[in-house]
Amino acid sequence: MFSLKLYRHALRLYPASHRDEFGEEMFLVFRELHAETAARGLRTHLRLCARETAGVFVGALREHWRLLGGDRFSQLFSTRRFTMHTEFRFPKATAVLMTIILGGVILAIQKGEAISASLRGAVVPPIGPIHPVHSVFVGGILLGFVFFYAAALIGWTILFAMRRSGLHRLDETVGKQ
Amino acid sequence: MEFIPLTEPVLLILLSLAGQPRHGYSILKDVEQMSDGRVVLSTGTLYGALRRLLDEEWIERIKEEESPRGRQAYRLTSQGRRNLQLEVGRMKNLTRLANLRIATKEA
Repeated sequence: MFSLKLYRHALRLYPASHRDEFGEEMFLVFRELHAETAARGLRTHLRLCARETAGVFVGALREHWRLLGGDRFSQLFSTRRFTMHTEFRFPKATAVLMTIILGGVILAIQKGEAISASLRGAVVPPIGPIHPVHSVFVGGILLGFVFFYAAALIGWTILFAMRRSGLHRLDETVGKQ
Repeated sequence: MEFIPLTEPVLLILLSLAGQPRHGYSILKDVEQMSDGRVVLSTGTLYGALRRLLDEEWIERIKEEESPRGRQAYRLTSQGRRNLQLEVGRMKNLTRLANLRIATKEA
């Protein structure tokens, strides 16, 4: 059974602790669901596979995030989609996301320049003079992005260093006395 | 612990366990039935929620003598039941208020 094997492999996406505790149980439940839907036609079966794939990916991501310290039980029960955390935490996911976005912006600019360079040789109808503001605009966005990225990175590094030093725990100690 | 309104899947899981202890497959089927097929949980969602509920001691595992290897049953703890009652009470108040407001508007 291909989908059973696939599910077994997909469970490896979970952190080892979660896999050891629930992996076998999850597989048994999936096997029961698999047997049930197999008799009800291909469409139902494909729907199950799609739902389970999404569920395993999202679940594994959530468990990894929790292990990184980004999860709180309250989030599960919270009606607010976005909540601010009260502790110092280095936002690894945000830093990675910003790096990807920065890479995307740089790549897009390079592609744009390559396209404009290739059009220089071609015969194109005149579009009138390019205002200097246009060329400055793209550079300005890039510069601004890099500036904010650097500022955020410095800020997070400071917060991260404070957290590692245990400085923020001083308040807790004072509160307990 | 500060009480915060529960999400629908968690509420349905707790309601499923309120009647009797259940194992994972049984919870999935009961949740689907209770919601008339509207809420269909994946195993990933179910076990993520069960893990959190176990951590917070709202539910606990029970040993079943004749269950196959790896199959676990869960039941509500007294804390979980109390919190479920609180949530149901909150919903009752909300429903009562909603009915009052709707009746006032119609009148």
